[in-house]
Amino acid sequence: MTLSLETQKLKRSGYIPTFLFGSLIASAFPIANMLVRSENFVNLPGDPFAILTNTNWQMIAMLNTLIVICGACMMYHAEYADNASQKMDVLPIKGSSIFFGKLAISATALTAMIIIETVVMTWCACHWFPSFQFSGTEFLKSIGFQVIVTLPTVIVMLIIASTCKNMWVSLGIGVILVFTFSIIPQDNTILNLFPFSSPYQTLCTVSGNGKTGIFLSVCLIETVIFALTQIIFQKIRRRSE
Amino acid sequence: MNIIETQNLTKIYGDFTAVSNLNLHIRKESVYGFLGPNGAGKSTTMKMMLGLTKPTQGTFQIDGKTYPADRVQILKEIGSFIESPAFYGNLTGEENLEIIRKILGLPKDSVNQVLETVDLAPFKKRLAKKYSLGMKQRLGLAGALLGKPPILILDEPTNGLDPVGIHEIRTLIKSLPEQYNCTVLVSSHLLSEVELMADDVGILNHGHLLFEGSMAQLRQKAEEEGFSTDNLEDIFLSMIDEDNRKRGAVK
Repeated sequence: MTLSLETQKLKRSGYIPTFLFGSLIASAFPIANMLVRSENFVNLPGDPFAILTNTNWQMIAMLNTLIVICGACMMYHAEYADNASQKMDVLPIKGSSIFFGKLAISATALTAMIIIETVVMTWCACHWFPSFQFSGTEFLKSIGFQVIVTLPTVIVMLIIASTCKNMWVSLGIGVILVFTFSIIPQDNTILNLFPFSSPYQTLCTVSGNGKTGIFLSVCLIETVIFALTQIIFQKIRRRSE
Repeated sequence: MNIIETQNLTKIYGDFTAVSNLNLHIRKESVYGFLGPNGAGKSTTMKMMLGLTKPTQGTFQIDGKTYPADRVQILKEIGSFIESPAFYGNLTGEENLEIIRKILGLPKDSVNQVLETVDLAPFKKRLAKKYSLGMKQRLGLAGALLGKPPILILDEPTNGLDPVGIHEIRTLIKSLPEQYNCTVLVSSHLLSEVELMADDVGILNHGHLLFEGSMAQLRQKAEEEGFSTDNLEDIFLSMIDEDNRKRGAVK
């Protein structure tokens, strides 16, 4: 029920068009890249999908993270703008179930976005690399990996947006975090495991270093820890009001 | 029988005491007018009853249930409207009520019924953010009335309404105990408004309860204390002035 309620709340909020527009822009990036300078990539050795991912994912991940930030801000702006959150507080519904409803929607929107982007990159691989052979398993693995490594960012951003009643504050914090973590060196595993940094990792790079398990498990643990943090935070906030 | 009771309910924000040792007794199926000037502690008391703010000290029971142990059960029985209308601006009036209906697990037709009650049915497809202040106020009331809850907590529900709207809402509130067997706690800073709809009144000033009882008891108290009893507004003002004077003397 919470999921359908949270979906209903997003009507006319611009949430779905934002994700759709964001994923189209992100998907257009590898196509534009190949249209303009395909000769730089088609003769490179290795898996075509890996070549495309390594070339384009940094930009795609940054766009994805920015869209995730905008989405979280829009979700909680709808709650705070006209005081609707206060009405929710006096109804027999737990604050945590509202949060997890929003998290489920954000994760679904993120997955849809990553699917669109991966489909476009697969199409690019088919179109520009005649040697490319599509593998359904690799396709699903890549989507699953990108979703899992982006989840901590999604949940942290939702916590920030739920904490700040002013949307511009949470948006500002999100943007600062994106640009701070985007300058982190890609060869530092520990720093790359942090939210806002982990979305830049790609399955082909990480599996090449044998760190797929580390990234997947740490990101899942981070997600659980942040979920628990939110539950505790809500209890503290209720008691301190 | 009292459906709401508070025992020494106190709320302190830093060095400011918003509500001090409040003992309220609200009879079942009555309209209880909660009176006091702005900043007297009316909204804070209501917020404590709804679990929006935690009491610093004291307890309260609502229909035999206590906070925080029975928070969800208490909220299932209360329809409320606090301070200003609260709604999703991106949704229509009907969609806003639909969300509340789903949370409360009510039948689908309850939304249309309550929209008719508050005269919002012709505007139900309009976005809530495009409502006038009076319509927003009615939407807030509709949200409180949805599902005919046994207890209604209304904080200055006629704010922003025109005289016709005030009269309609006042008549509606007065009819609720008989129509829906519900108890209404309604706050206002206007005694003239409360006296037209309340069975009992509680007068609050600087967080202290100055009086609790029926209108007749209020007149009697005013006579005993030598206040003018020609006009209930005067009684209220005299009591507040007297209390303020005493406080000034204490300082």
